[in-house]
Amino acid sequence: MDEGCDGTGLCIDTGDGEFMEISLHSRNSFERKKNPSQDSGFEDRGSKSKKKGLSVSDFLTSRRILFSLSVSQNFFVKFVSHYGFEESKEVNRLRNLFSRKAKESEDDAEQGWKLFGRIPPKQAPDKDPQQITQEFQNKLRSVAQPKNSKKSDIEVMSTTALILENRPQNLPTKDPEEAEKHRQQYEAMVEAARKKELKELKMKKKQKQQQLKNEDKVVCAAKRWTDEILPNWETMKSQKKTRELWWHGIPTNVQGRVWQLAFGNDLNVTNELYEICCSRADDRIRMTIESSEIYGNSETSSEPPSSKESSVELIKLDVSRTFPQLCIFQKGGPYYDLLHSLLGAYACYRPDVGYVQGMSFIAAVLLLNMDVADAFVCFANLLNRPCQVAFFRVDEELMKVYFHTFEEFFDENMPGLYSHFKKHKVTPDLYITEWIFALFSKSLPLDIACRVWDVFCRDGEEFLFRTALGILKMYEDLLLHMDFCNLVQLLTKIPEDISGDTLFKHIDTIRMNIDKKRFNQVLAVNKES
Amino acid sequence: MTELLFKIIIIGDPTVGKTSFIQRYVNDSFRRDYKMTIGVDFALKVVKWTENQMIKLQLWDIAGQERFTSMTRVYYKDAHACVIMFDLTQRSTFQNAVNWKKDLDSKCSLTDGTPVPCLLLANKCDLSHREVEQSEIEKICREHDFIGWTEISVKEGIMIEEPMRFLMEEMMIKHTEMEGFSESMRQAASNPEAIHLKQQSTVLATQSGCGC
Repeated sequence: MDEGCDGTGLCIDTGDGEFMEISLHSRNSFERKKNPSQDSGFEDRGSKSKKKGLSVSDFLTSRRILFSLSVSQNFFVKFVSHYGFEESKEVNRLRNLFSRKAKESEDDAEQGWKLFGRIPPKQAPDKDPQQITQEFQNKLRSVAQPKNSKKSDIEVMSTTALILENRPQNLPTKDPEEAEKHRQQYEAMVEAARKKELKELKMKKKQKQQQLKNEDKVVCAAKRWTDEILPNWETMKSQKKTRELWWHGIPTNVQGRVWQLAFGNDLNVTNELYEICCSRADDRIRMTIESSEIYGNSETSSEPPSSKESSVELIKLDVSRTFPQLCIFQKGGPYYDLLHSLLGAYACYRPDVGYVQGMSFIAAVLLLNMDVADAFVCFANLLNRPCQVAFFRVDEELMKVYFHTFEEFFDENMPGLYSHFKKHKVTPDLYITEWIFALFSKSLPLDIACRVWDVFCRDGEEFLFRTALGILKMYEDLLLHMDFCNLVQLLTKIPEDISGDTLFKHIDTIRMNIDKKRFNQVLAVNKES
Repeated sequence: MTELLFKIIIIGDPTVGKTSFIQRYVNDSFRRDYKMTIGVDFALKVVKWTENQMIKLQLWDIAGQERFTSMTRVYYKDAHACVIMFDLTQRSTFQNAVNWKKDLDSKCSLTDGTPVPCLLLANKCDLSHREVEQSEIEKICREHDFIGWTEISVKEGIMIEEPMRFLMEEMMIKHTEMEGFSESMRQAASNPEAIHLKQQSTVLATQSGCGC
């Protein structure tokens, strides 16, 4: 072993079959603890390595597991202490565990196992602490140099750190043939482990790069939205570049703002109106509570309450059942009162519609992205869109028109699956109802649902049906082999691990025109007939 | 091994515990945080009825909001049996149970024109607060042609299997005695088991009440 095998790289010295060097960044963090005042440059190094999150003891612990897995009873295992490890408590503890001192083994010519390579040769003169530090610093410097950068990129460690070491004295001498066999096995093992680790490292690196790239993309997109698009909304919103960016989802920091702009305020709902509706809703709720207190609960409710009143009652029950897993809309949660107020206010604002199940999910998604008054404005305008009017008024005839139009696009895009659905009598009302009522926020993971909302803002209601077809397309191969029960179960419980990117790739393949007619045109034709 | 498929619809007011009941029956699990049902949800339960008879129950968990009743016709279609649930701690849900029964009978019936066999389940009997007396339930059950009723607690898992078993027995009788019951296609002759069924319903009713 020579000084060339330093710092961070991997060095396997199999020339004499004795040992190999594996370098560990983690040494630095340990060394740093030991000599905190030695050198400021050194300290920097140490903190850097610490950031990588690998401490000596962590490292050793993980190594120990490896030990027990790969060391056969014929072999004896011991840590060879590199300086730095020399005085580590962890190492000392382990040494005790294996109850054998380094010096004994060096007398023995036989092979055994060793971890972390680099045995301080017996004949080597004792180094004084300063010299050690000096050497260490040199190593660190060499690591920092660009010529070594390639080496330091590949931090293969762990398994390959197992090295052959002398066989304990109390065991009979090994047959040379056997010894050779063991040596070869050992090498194969180390090589396999090394390859595996390299592969994993490459994967990790790739993933990290991808992640960084994505993060950069997000940052860049956010910048474009805030600096370019939002200040010039009217001119920018329909530009091709904007629409392309839009497809990939609106960054969360501007999502609420873009939704507000996109949903608009044709109804001219003001914050004052929200306040008025809100207090009226409060009064009504108080009245119902008081009346039930005064008259008791059995006699006043002898007649089932009318639809509108009961819809206000239902809000109370449903608020807690909205995104229950988030635990913020439940009683005592930060959004419980807000969601309650918003829905109550809407029921007062539109008594002809009242509260309809599904609304609580829409209101909740809005509340997560903007303050309550803005959310109310958005909510009122969103629910005033033709498709939402049809559904939330439960206008059966109009809903049928939507279902029928959807089926036409279904047949156009996936004729095979469409006839399969027909055969099993799976009609759209069985699965698409919930999707439309809650705008997918109850059926898809929240982040994906928000992305659907983003493009829904851009493309209007046809995108809701395009998304529905995208979901069918995504699971097409699976659905084609299912019977009624499995079909409807899958569609009413979409797997939670659904990938947003994959879904959007499938949505992208859905063509939204039949004979050059867009969704809205086909819908208009169906409305008339 | 023969296999029969029955469609059972579960209806009743919001938050009476329809989804919870189905999850308890199918997966024997209970959670407090189910989302509301919009439209309809589905579950499947396979029961080994005898050595060579399997029964598949297709359970339709139908949204409870009154507003959706105009949509329920599609969901009721071809149902072999029905479970109407109410919440013992909320009197209005009990009163609405009758409305649900009327809605069901007005929208569908068996192939021979007889009402769909319907069971009345009084949920949340584990809670001390209650707004409905057993005598009232008994009365409604007789007056509105339910095949039986029982108090249950989905939370505690009390009386979950039993009523469903009773409902399956009912359907098996219909299946053997009424032509086209399980195919829901042809018209059969008459209403052979009315009296017998009523007797059975009384038996279940007297057994019921989970003693909470």
